[in-house]
Amino acid sequence: MNIQILDSWLRDHLKTKATPKQIASMLSLSSVSVERLEKQKNDWLYDIEVTTNRPDLMSVVGLARETATVLNANRIEASFKSPQLPLVKTASRRTGDVIVINNDPKLVHRVCAVVMEVKVKNSPAIIKDRLEATGIRSLNNLIDVTNYVMRVIGHPTHVFDFDRLNTKTLTIRESKAGEKILTLDKKSHTLPGGDIVATNDAGEIVDLLGIMGLENSVVTNDTKRILFFIDNNEPTHMRKTSMTLSIRSEAVVLNEKAIDPELAIDALLYGIALFEEIADGKVVSPIVDIYPKKVVVKEITVSEKQINTVIGVQIPLKKSAEILKGLGFAVTIHNDSLTATPPTFRAHDMEIPEDLIEEIARIYGYHNIPSLLPPLIDKPSNIYDALYWENRTKNALKYWGFTEVYTYPMIGKELYHGDIKDAITIANPLSEDMVYMRNTLVPSLLEVTKKNKNHDSIQIFELANVYIPRHHDLPNEQPVLAGVVKKPRASFYEVKGVIEQLLQDLGITDLVWTPDTTDNSAVVHQNKEELGKIRILEKHVIVFSLDFAKVLEHATSTKKYQPLSKYPALVEDLSVVASGHVLTGDIIETIQKQNALIREVTLIDKYKDTRTFHIVYQSYQKNLTNQDIIPIREKVAQALHTKFSATIK
Amino acid sequence: MKESLLRLKNSAISLILDTNNQDELEELRIQFLGRNGELTQLLKGLPKVAKEDRPEVGRVANEVKQIIENALMQQGSAAKEQKIKTTLDVTEPGIRPSLGHTHLVTQAITEITEIFERIGFSRVRYPEVEWDWYAFTALNFPDNHPARDDWETFFIDHKPDPKKGTMLLTPHTSSGQIREMVSAVKSQTEGQKAPIEIKMLNIAKTYRRQSDVSHTPMFHQFETLVIGQNISIAHLKGVLDYFVKSYFGSKRTSRIRPYHFQFTEPSFETDVSCGVCDGKGNLPNGEACKMCKEGWLELGGAGMVHPNVLKACGLDPKKYSGFASGWGVERVLTMREGMQIDDIRLLYANDLDFLKQF
Repeated sequence: MNIQILDSWLRDHLKTKATPKQIASMLSLSSVSVERLEKQKNDWLYDIEVTTNRPDLMSVVGLARETATVLNANRIEASFKSPQLPLVKTASRRTGDVIVINNDPKLVHRVCAVVMEVKVKNSPAIIKDRLEATGIRSLNNLIDVTNYVMRVIGHPTHVFDFDRLNTKTLTIRESKAGEKILTLDKKSHTLPGGDIVATNDAGEIVDLLGIMGLENSVVTNDTKRILFFIDNNEPTHMRKTSMTLSIRSEAVVLNEKAIDPELAIDALLYGIALFEEIADGKVVSPIVDIYPKKVVVKEITVSEKQINTVIGVQIPLKKSAEILKGLGFAVTIHNDSLTATPPTFRAHDMEIPEDLIEEIARIYGYHNIPSLLPPLIDKPSNIYDALYWENRTKNALKYWGFTEVYTYPMIGKELYHGDIKDAITIANPLSEDMVYMRNTLVPSLLEVTKKNKNHDSIQIFELANVYIPRHHDLPNEQPVLAGVVKKPRASFYEVKGVIEQLLQDLGITDLVWTPDTTDNSAVVHQNKEELGKIRILEKHVIVFSLDFAKVLEHATSTKKYQPLSKYPALVEDLSVVASGHVLTGDIIETIQKQNALIREVTLIDKYKDTRTFHIVYQSYQKNLTNQDIIPIREKVAQALHTKFSATIK
Repeated sequence: MKESLLRLKNSAISLILDTNNQDELEELRIQFLGRNGELTQLLKGLPKVAKEDRPEVGRVANEVKQIIENALMQQGSAAKEQKIKTTLDVTEPGIRPSLGHTHLVTQAITEITEIFERIGFSRVRYPEVEWDWYAFTALNFPDNHPARDDWETFFIDHKPDPKKGTMLLTPHTSSGQIREMVSAVKSQTEGQKAPIEIKMLNIAKTYRRQSDVSHTPMFHQFETLVIGQNISIAHLKGVLDYFVKSYFGSKRTSRIRPYHFQFTEPSFETDVSCGVCDGKGNLPNGEACKMCKEGWLELGGAGMVHPNVLKACGLDPKKYSGFASGWGVERVLTMREGMQIDDIRLLYANDLDFLKQF
């Protein structure tokens, strides 16, 4: 959450000679990040990002206190001036109209309230300017006071038109589902139930506490009497109501972060003084302060050794104590450790020794800590891990003209393979096309080709997980390599070649290919294990997918050395005439089996019934002559003839 | 015999290399390889060689012949080239081998991995579909933390596990911290008693329920985790500096500043100095730099591992300390390239015209 504050406003509570630039840079380094520092007429505007654990810094007072400490730690003189508050007793002695508040301590931790007579008018320029600069529109003096107090003290406040409330009691309760309200911005809402509301004597809902006031009780230009109301609400109720109704007011952003209830009374008193000053305000009721359970702060002890181990620098215990004191902690030192009690506005944020170490380290200055590389670990590593093979695969495909895509693993119904009832389903999807975790990769890639209609020739791939449901367990996340080739004259053999070459590069050879006519595909196996398949979808579209977990199991960097023969090889081309039903793989296998001297058989040409094979003969014992080859060739011819009724040209 | 063959080869080569005149080369061919050339003459002595040595000598003779032929051919084409130059249009496009593209995110992940591996990190990978316990509870998230809302995290429609809670899509790589520590503790109790040391790099897909110009529902994070007996903030700063200088360039600087996360204490936001304005926050013309915040770009979160997190994984916070960081892959890559991508969803729109630019 961000807060914008004018430099002049900050200096109401901060006495220092530090320049705005110094303040911005010191705060960023040691406290909260000043994202922008902007010149504004004769002033400067800080835009500060406050982390959720520091709602106390969402205020001028909180920032001034923190800035003073940070500046002092950096040897720039600074002091914090706390806000001036009227004495409670003076105010509470007045009598007048009385309001009774029935609180539910589980919903609201503290309620401070007072009835005042007021005059509606415009706010003075200084208030208007400061509010506008902080991003809040100035409306009239009554509303402006509530916002101004929220910014100074850091606790949201509310103001009702007391006469429009028309009640002696306000009852705080949880809403029932379906109750209807009209918020002050004239929007109607149906409550989900379990929201914190207040009702009047007539049982009407008159406030949605901590979120936004309602139309039926909001101040108007005719308001004469107000109920100034500070409610410290239970944070999870705030978050839930606000998110369900999509109301993200300034107030709720604070309220959902657990604001220090100790601030509620400060806000009331500061507000009373401000109403008196700019709205001719007069207190006409006793001050109501319902505060059933005081904030508890925890004493925390930390040793000097622990401080130094975590920070990596030797910091004397005395220095650590000083830092904490500057931040409002009460500190005692005994021997080699210190005990600190945090201020109430840090109650939720300070629980363990590490919390104290963080405070010490940041004020000491992270920029004063050296940079060191952590020690090496004496553990052997395997460079041929899954990531190695993945990279090798991706690079190979890249150099063969494929482009890698990244598609979303969440898919719509139509891309799911199989029964959608089994799918891993997202309970709160963003959109209809991202409901299920995919169990197959190819459909996502086909979507990509559809999207890229303007390209005649597409060669894409993706290596990503698919998610296979398991009974009562997390799904199996299986890596799959899939690709699409879509181009005029796309050839099965081209895609097969890519797969063969890729697997060979990963050390996987001895592949067996079988047809699967059910889906017009070819399946590739190694050792009878299916590694993947190629499918011809339509004339110009061929897809492939490989079970990459299996590929990884077989991938190897081991190379085998085959001794080189001292004798030259003899080569010849053999044209075989055989029926088209005879598989080339079977012919090659048959030729190879006929003699150990046949080292290699490759198909080099195919024309009608004739297939031409290139045959390499080589011996380790001697120079081969044509005389040696003639009987082998005859044996080959015979075998081909017997097996396939083939002849040799 | 073998020696004579080699001598012949050497003298032939040196003569061939001396000329690129076509006629002279032809003369040399006849001199050495011709019907009555020196090689043939020499081989007439073959019957005098001992029988068992003959195959070897034959092989060498073949080799010598081959080498001389190659040398003649090469030198010959060098001679021709000078003529071709006048007819060759060197501005005509070459015939290129095909070249595709790996995705930008893959490229970034590869570089990030390399950088961290050089300082001894090991890359790991853990589930994307995860139990609440690993993604939130063990990371010290209170039950009512906003990140556990339906508005921020994707939940899976599945019966919760009695111990590990609901099933979800992990919103950060930090769940990998828990997996890593739990497995280190497990392998320790199973045998090796040496103190636990971890230097993990976890890069994975992560998911958040957000989709707008600066968010995609699926994105990538890279997470470091270092655990040991004396790991300090100084070590975190060291790794941050090393990464920033290696990935963004040696001129860039880094800093850490206070932040807040549930699973680290202290917690930091890490920043890199802006490459556009050189960390000044203003451009030379005096205008504020639009790229950064006051000269700094946010890299992501980091911090010292929270003692509750160590405890949840079975590590004694009195004995062990450590740091972790979780940064966005898409973020660092767009930050470095200075790519002013106006809609980050473009990274996953898979428009080939976009992908082919990288």
